[in-house]
Amino acid sequence: MSRQGGRGTESKKMYWYLPFISPSASLQLMNSELFTLTYGALVTQLCKDYENDDDVNKQLDKMGYNIGVRLIEDFLARSNVGRCHDFRETADVIAKIAFKMYLGITPSITNWSPGGDEFSLILENNPLVDFVELPDNHSTLIYSNLLCGVLRGALEMVQMAVDVKFVQDTLKGDSVTEIRMKFIRRIEDNLPAGEECCPFPFPWRLPMLSFQL
Amino acid sequence: MSRSPGRKQENHKISRELFVLTYGALVAQLCKDYEKDEDVNACLDRMGYSIGIRLIDDFLARSAVKKCRSYSETADMIAQVAFKMYLGVTPSVSCSSATGNEFSLILDKNPLVDFVEELPAERASLCYCNLLCGVIRGALEMVHLAAEVSFLQDRLKGDAVTEIGITFLRKPEDRKHRRNK
Repeated sequence: MSRQGGRGTESKKMYWYLPFISPSASLQLMNSELFTLTYGALVTQLCKDYENDDDVNKQLDKMGYNIGVRLIEDFLARSNVGRCHDFRETADVIAKIAFKMYLGITPSITNWSPGGDEFSLILENNPLVDFVELPDNHSTLIYSNLLCGVLRGALEMVQMAVDVKFVQDTLKGDSVTEIRMKFIRRIEDNLPAGEECCPFPFPWRLPMLSFQL
Repeated sequence: MSRSPGRKQENHKISRELFVLTYGALVAQLCKDYEKDEDVNACLDRMGYSIGIRLIDDFLARSAVKKCRSYSETADMIAQVAFKMYLGVTPSVSCSSATGNEFSLILDKNPLVDFVEELPAERASLCYCNLLCGVIRGALEMVHLAAEVSFLQDRLKGDAVTEIGITFLRKPEDRKHRRNK
């Protein structure tokens, strides 16, 4: 897609293909299979577009990030959670509320670091991979890497810089899927890190952020 | 990616938004890959088809529906059961031909585009939700019903509603049968 206007205007540009989400929309539930299969189509398309798994992984992470920065407001509006007082509370909210809401599963939280700044989410089953087997030539693909980006983007919007990565993956033969989350630092101002950003506009709308593909 | 044959039957109900945003990311990626809207539309339709031929298994297992005896019943099933199950919405159905093989599904609220702003000028002929047409077409084919499925109206293009047209194609045996009468 062509980008119009100078870089200064890009942060304000309407990225039409990333929908706004109105927090007032009623909670419509759906079965997850259409999502699972659509996600598979997305990963397949990226594998066609990029030669190596590493680039696909990065692209999934970037896409996830852009999704996360939007999803957080929907989450906050629907879940009505208050501000988390510490990283343990954040972990609970992610596992018991967010994952439940958007993926229909509740991972368990384990392996806290002594400093309380790192933990693992253990997913016994991951709905994104329900019908998937990784072919041999994609052994380093992190199939569900979108989720890491989503978590990272969402937490950035609530002033937390975190590092999120998969450390075990059932698709690669591990017995569980394990996502490791590490708290890096608190983000002091309201603006997200990164060169293209918009300040939080009105509370009832999600920020329009440039979507760098 | 190959699909493993086992199917889990857990009922994972999810809130739509992560799916809606992921779908948006998919469309965005295709718009990066293809310059022409027609190519994006065709790709969405093909992807939808691949999804539909798999989704039908899950649908039949979960819904335990009996074989539909008419096109009208099939259209109702798509609207009232399948759409409800996988998108959380129920389009209304109308039959749009005297021959009884053309139907319209009217969506007041299309979950995929509810909050998408209008298409930009350079993407005016994009059928943003074309994946759905492919899904329906693929799923029907697996139950031996050939159909053409397309968007007839699209709110994203300024129409009042979103309308999906399903035309069931007569099987060649039916036509031969009628000629022999």
